Amino acid sequence: MTNDTSGSSRRRFLALGGATAAGALAGCAGLFSNENNQAGVSLSDFRGSGPLVESRGQPDGTSIADLPDLEGSLTVYLGGGEGGLYVELLDLFEQAYDNFSVNHRLDSSSSLANTIIEENAAGATEADLFMSVDAGSLGAVANAGATQSLPSEALNAVPGSFQDGDGRWVGFAGRARAIPYNTDQLSPSDIPNTVSEFPNTAALEGTMGWAPSYGAFQSFITAMRLNKSDEAARSWLSEMQNHGITEYGNEFAVSNSVADGELAAGFANHYYSLRVTSARKNAPLDLYFTEGDAGALVNVSGLEILSGSEKSELAGNFVRHVLSSEAQEFFATRTFAYPMISGVKPVGDLPRVDDLNPPDIDLTELADVSGTVDLMRDVGVL
Amino acid sequence: MGTSDRLERIRERANVTDRDADEPTVLAAVVLAISLLLLSPIAWVLLEASEMQAGRLIELVASETTTTVTVNTLILVVAVTALSVLIGVPLALLTVQTDLPFKRFWTVTAALPLVVPSYIGAFAFVSAFGPRGELADLLSPLGIQQIPTIYGLTGTALVLTLFTYPYVFLTTRASLISFDGTVVEAARSLNASRWDAFKRVTLPQILPGIAAGALLVALYTLSDFGTPAIMRYDVFTRMIFVEEQARNLDAAAVLSLLLLVLAMAILAVESRIGAGRDGAYVSSGDRRAGEIKLGYWKLPAMGFCALIAALCLALPIGILGLWLVRSADATQAGFVFELQHVTNSVTLAAAAAGLCVVVALPIAYLSARGDGTLSSLPERVSYVGYAVPGVVIGLSLIYLALRFVPFLYQSLFVLVFAYVVRFLPQAVGTTESSVLQVDPSYIEAARSLGYGPITSFRKVVLPLVAPGIAAGAALVFLTTMKELPATLMLRPIGFETIVTYIWLVRGAAYQGQAAVPALILVGVSGLSMLIILRQEG
Repeated sequence: MTNDTSGSSRRRFLALGGATAAGALAGCAGLFSNENNQAGVSLSDFRGSGPLVESRGQPDGTSIADLPDLEGSLTVYLGGGEGGLYVELLDLFEQAYDNFSVNHRLDSSSSLANTIIEENAAGATEADLFMSVDAGSLGAVANAGATQSLPSEALNAVPGSFQDGDGRWVGFAGRARAIPYNTDQLSPSDIPNTVSEFPNTAALEGTMGWAPSYGAFQSFITAMRLNKSDEAARSWLSEMQNHGITEYGNEFAVSNSVADGELAAGFANHYYSLRVTSARKNAPLDLYFTEGDAGALVNVSGLEILSGSEKSELAGNFVRHVLSSEAQEFFATRTFAYPMISGVKPVGDLPRVDDLNPPDIDLTELADVSGTVDLMRDVGVL
Repeated sequence: MGTSDRLERIRERANVTDRDADEPTVLAAVVLAISLLLLSPIAWVLLEASEMQAGRLIELVASETTTTVTVNTLILVVAVTALSVLIGVPLALLTVQTDLPFKRFWTVTAALPLVVPSYIGAFAFVSAFGPRGELADLLSPLGIQQIPTIYGLTGTALVLTLFTYPYVFLTTRASLISFDGTVVEAARSLNASRWDAFKRVTLPQILPGIAAGALLVALYTLSDFGTPAIMRYDVFTRMIFVEEQARNLDAAAVLSLLLLVLAMAILAVESRIGAGRDGAYVSSGDRRAGEIKLGYWKLPAMGFCALIAALCLALPIGILGLWLVRSADATQAGFVFELQHVTNSVTLAAAAAGLCVVVALPIAYLSARGDGTLSSLPERVSYVGYAVPGVVIGLSLIYLALRFVPFLYQSLFVLVFAYVVRFLPQAVGTTESSVLQVDPSYIEAARSLGYGPITSFRKVVLPLVAPGIAAGAALVFLTTMKELPATLMLRPIGFETIVTYIWLVRGAAYQGQAAVPALILVGVSGLSMLIILRQEG
């Protein structure tokens, strides 16, 4: 909506760090009038609070103020339990624009992927966008031919390894696989730098935990199959079992048990440990990152526009908003995820996403959870 | 009497027989149509299962995991059912047949745990007795570092029992209330000891009632996902959930069929026990047996009632209260809990209860009044949906709605239908037992007074079965209030209920914000429980 004039601007964002760059955009000059700011939304609304967030600088990247207005209504299928946090982001967008509303349906990513694939087959797509906490679910929907192309501005903002090779989905927040370890029981030097050496490491014998029913763990095994082979994944799983490992229902529980000292180390997504430490400041818990293998997988939350949507332009603009510096700051500080644009850094002393060494795989291929579950069941892990 | 008169009378008689012959046919046709609709989700399960390649199918069915979860599930079902009988039957006896002080109060506390969703009960137990729970916190200053684990079979069986035994309590209580107490007195007058009289007279009479409640407990245990998942015990539903999440729909369908086989085995067992139902409900006498004097046992008996009430009610409500207090100063998520969530839940639950009652009546009537196995088959069929996990019903109805009634897709109709598929047997059971108590000669009397079949049903039968219907409606109402998996998958966009809100805030790790909705859920459902108890007198 670049034809806004100062008097009729519906935009209520405060000018942010990116504002100077924004001024260069043609036709946008009128957008920064402050007259409607009273009820507006500012960077601090996007930002979380707490010890991990204090003393952060201004985020760089494209500010929401630089983007066209969101106008109209969208329906989003929102996948994942943590996806509940994303509802807050949708609310912030609604607060920012008078004439914008988002309907959402929240369920697990896999269930929604199933639903979208069924709807697409029946030619009755209900949603414009699929916002999922798991690249595998995005890939499954894309592979079913249920997506349309994303705007190039969105794709250009995100490194190639965190989007679909054919541009059918784009990542907006990263979640690194990590080894949470108890600092009273282990030091980083006790932990090998690839997971394949774990079954031969005496320090880890009978002291680790995992959550094989959990989607994130299954993605990690899928990555191992892709990075090495089915056989390698199979033998690694049974070697770990023989090494002695405790089963949990989810990875937050794994991380919590490590903090309690019930476990010396575990397999979990990085942000569960941050959730633990943000609630329990002195917990003896730290994260170790393996290198170049499946243990270093960086999975993403991502977005795709569904082929049944007749609001491609608005949907595309929405995706760009999710990749704005404010929204990226939201993911970094409220969900402790890795931001996907280079201008925003992760919280605390997390390594920058560029400093991680993830395996070289196409995240769309994480869609093959089915084969992973068959394999895990066969080994007796599931 | 003239010839024409005679002819007239013959014609009349012929008409009457015609009408009588038509009634069961119409009833049977209606019931058949309902049964087919109720079984429609199973059609999807069969279709999806048939798409699995033979190789994968054999691998799945023969896998070690399948064997393990089958054994685990059976152990759990047996344990929960047995424990529920051990708790529910004594509570029913105490509150109906003895001079227990504050009987009314204990009746309410014994029935109420049913309104607590078992997953909330499970959270409460983990918060209280888990490794980092309140008890562990209390004990650690005393130097006690380790408490026995709450996880695994013991904890799962305990939690499921504590929140489902009221099914046994309610059905047992209903049959105790309705059965003719003079029989016991007769037995006593023949010098039978109290125990003998119970074993030989009371027990056979209430056994079908116990079996009906035990059946509900067993099938609930079979289909529950949340509790075993929280309490870390590996069962069938966990395996089905994993396959569904991996988008292995064919495998999820095959496993659901295996689960249905288990359900049918349970139904068969119950049919055998319930076979004596004819005698059970019909002899509804006005007189109850004389109260048993508890004497010295009064105090232990009250202690037992109080212990169960403490574990099932005080503990979860106390833990929810703690969450509430502790979350007062914690960061709040932006999710606002609104009145709308409550009205949505109540509307849905009321619609489901209303529809279940309407659908249950013909099924129950046919089963109670018909003769032979065929007429009670629809009653058995109604239990099938109850044994299928909600997530499978959800998947199936998404598929069926999109293909056959696309204009109803994502409408409340489909969601309410899902509830009917899942919870109908609760209404059928209570309605059937009240139909059985209606003396058929009343209807004949009404008919002989010239009322048509519908009028005589409305004037004679309906008032007599109304309490059973109301109890069934209330049961469906409170179970629908608690239902999560099908609600998540089938609710229209933007339509949020109390349980979807709880799911949302828990997923986002704002546990404290679940406390108020959970307490409201328990409160609203508690009201419907009072309706059940009122109806039973």
